[in-house]
Amino acid sequence: MEFVDYLQAVTDGVMQGAYYALIGIGFTLIFGVMNKINLAYAAAAFGGAYASLGVAALIGTGDDFGLPPLLMFLVSAVAAGLFAWVVYTICFRFTPDHYELATLMATVGAFFLIEEIAVHATDGEPMDFPEVLQGIIDDPMIEFSDAFAVRGDLLTIFLLALIAMGLLLTLLYRTRLGLATRAVAQQRTAAQLCGISVDRTNATTFIIAGVLGGLAGAMIGAAVGVLSPLLFVPLTVKGLIVTVMGGLGSIPGAIVAGLLVGGLENVFLALRGITERDMYVMLLLFLFLAFRPQGLFGKKVLRD
Amino acid sequence: MDDFTWGLVQIVGVHTILGLSAYVILLTGQVSMAQAGFVAIGAYVAGMLTVLAEWHIIPSMITGGLAAAVLACIVGFPALRVRGLMLVVATIAFGEFVRLFWFNFDYRIAKGDIIVGPEGGEGFKQIRFFPENGWTTQDVAAFIWIVAAIILATLWWMDRSRAGKVLRAVGEDEMAAQSVGINLTVVKVSAFTAGGFIAGIAGALYAHYTTHIEHLNFDILMATFAIAYPILGGLANVWGTLFAAIFIQVIVIEVLRDLGDVRNLMFGALIILVMNFLPRGLFSAQVVRKLREWTGLGKTSDA
Repeated sequence: MEFVDYLQAVTDGVMQGAYYALIGIGFTLIFGVMNKINLAYAAAAFGGAYASLGVAALIGTGDDFGLPPLLMFLVSAVAAGLFAWVVYTICFRFTPDHYELATLMATVGAFFLIEEIAVHATDGEPMDFPEVLQGIIDDPMIEFSDAFAVRGDLLTIFLLALIAMGLLLTLLYRTRLGLATRAVAQQRTAAQLCGISVDRTNATTFIIAGVLGGLAGAMIGAAVGVLSPLLFVPLTVKGLIVTVMGGLGSIPGAIVAGLLVGGLENVFLALRGITERDMYVMLLLFLFLAFRPQGLFGKKVLRD
Repeated sequence: MDDFTWGLVQIVGVHTILGLSAYVILLTGQVSMAQAGFVAIGAYVAGMLTVLAEWHIIPSMITGGLAAAVLACIVGFPALRVRGLMLVVATIAFGEFVRLFWFNFDYRIAKGDIIVGPEGGEGFKQIRFFPENGWTTQDVAAFIWIVAAIILATLWWMDRSRAGKVLRAVGEDEMAAQSVGINLTVVKVSAFTAGGFIAGIAGALYAHYTTHIEHLNFDILMATFAIAYPILGGLANVWGTLFAAIFIQVIVIEVLRDLGDVRNLMFGALIILVMNFLPRGLFSAQVVRKLREWTGLGKTSDA
């Protein structure tokens, strides 16, 4: 491979890494406020993307697809936010606070429940996702030279993800809701003493994370071209890896780690092929665990 | 009993061992989602030993278990030094790594006029130690349950010994355990290694009774089964795990077979329900104490 081929692989990968970053942010947000992992998160995010397909199928007729592209993203985001709230209610709201095992196990149960519902509703067949990204940026291939070009659909995803991240950071650092979220994340009891409802803040955080996940789900559907329950496990694993590499609870960490994983993954793909690609991503995680367990931006806390 | 029922007896036996492998680790308060990976290592190593090296099942099984234990020990050191929740992520990633390793692993040799050995994505076919040596379905089921009984008895005895107390002390409160001089890393890595060994044994048995394994057998669902049995059954003693393995494999999966796909939905829903209403499992310490009071059994023990 020549240098320009690496450049091409990294560029494509970093743009795809945008949805790893979004999923990673979702995991990290929930971890931040609750100190718990929601393993059903990526599945609920795909649930949103499936729901947008369902709504489009209800409205559209035949070849005419019912929803304009941006509305697909909106429906997916709203539906995933709703699913995230459901997951919060059945897995987090009533399980004991100091016994993490029960919550974790419940979210694994929710993961399989959502996966099975998706398999059930689609007979296990992959569903075609409309090419909603075509036409937002006119040029399908922005060519810089014979060997290097930027794909229009990936660029759209990347820009959309950046906008979503910008909105999230504004929400967290410029609004009272964000202040409450950060307060609960920082010191739960103190936040409660200031009159912040921990329960409501947790639920809101789940919904915010869910909305981001729904966007990511629709983006993945649009970039891959299909939605399939087979995507649930790999995306959950990648999202978790991004979360750990960025540092548990760190949003900038999740963004940087997401883009990093996306870029490196594409280099592994170019060098070793599709069947070995993910093995190297896992090895990357173990390197981090061995040498930098707090992640890129995490606080140096080694134990619970 | 027909062959189908004997087959079910085999499945429940292997799943009980699988659940026990996660039980040891859960006693220390750690959640391992890597058990399916250790099962895969035990399955492939033992399978290669009986098929390619033509060993007997028992040394192959033990070697498979040891191979999984060595890997558990190596992975455990970096993974267990970090926060408990990070271990969940690390073990999920490790389990997937092992699965992908076997997906890419291709080592076949000619044996007589057929070619045998693991063949990447095609899987590892013809692990025919049992049929070749004339073991009947009943023999295999008996063998699996003898192994399961040995592991159950060992863990039951360990629970009552100092080792069990140390494991539970770490699981209950790490800080308190550390302050009485328990080395957390040693205890956790030991439990993790023991869990890897038991999972490797389960894998060796699994490979030989199914005779055909492939990487997709060792997915997140299997890892979930492993931790679901002890968590749903409760960590008070080993019987909870045994009960949950029988309950899920026999009632939820086999008796409700007529419901078709819906029973898969039920597995997820069942976990959520139990965790909301009985977060410490069906046989939690309190339930076990009450059962003892009612039945008057086991009063002499330390309950």
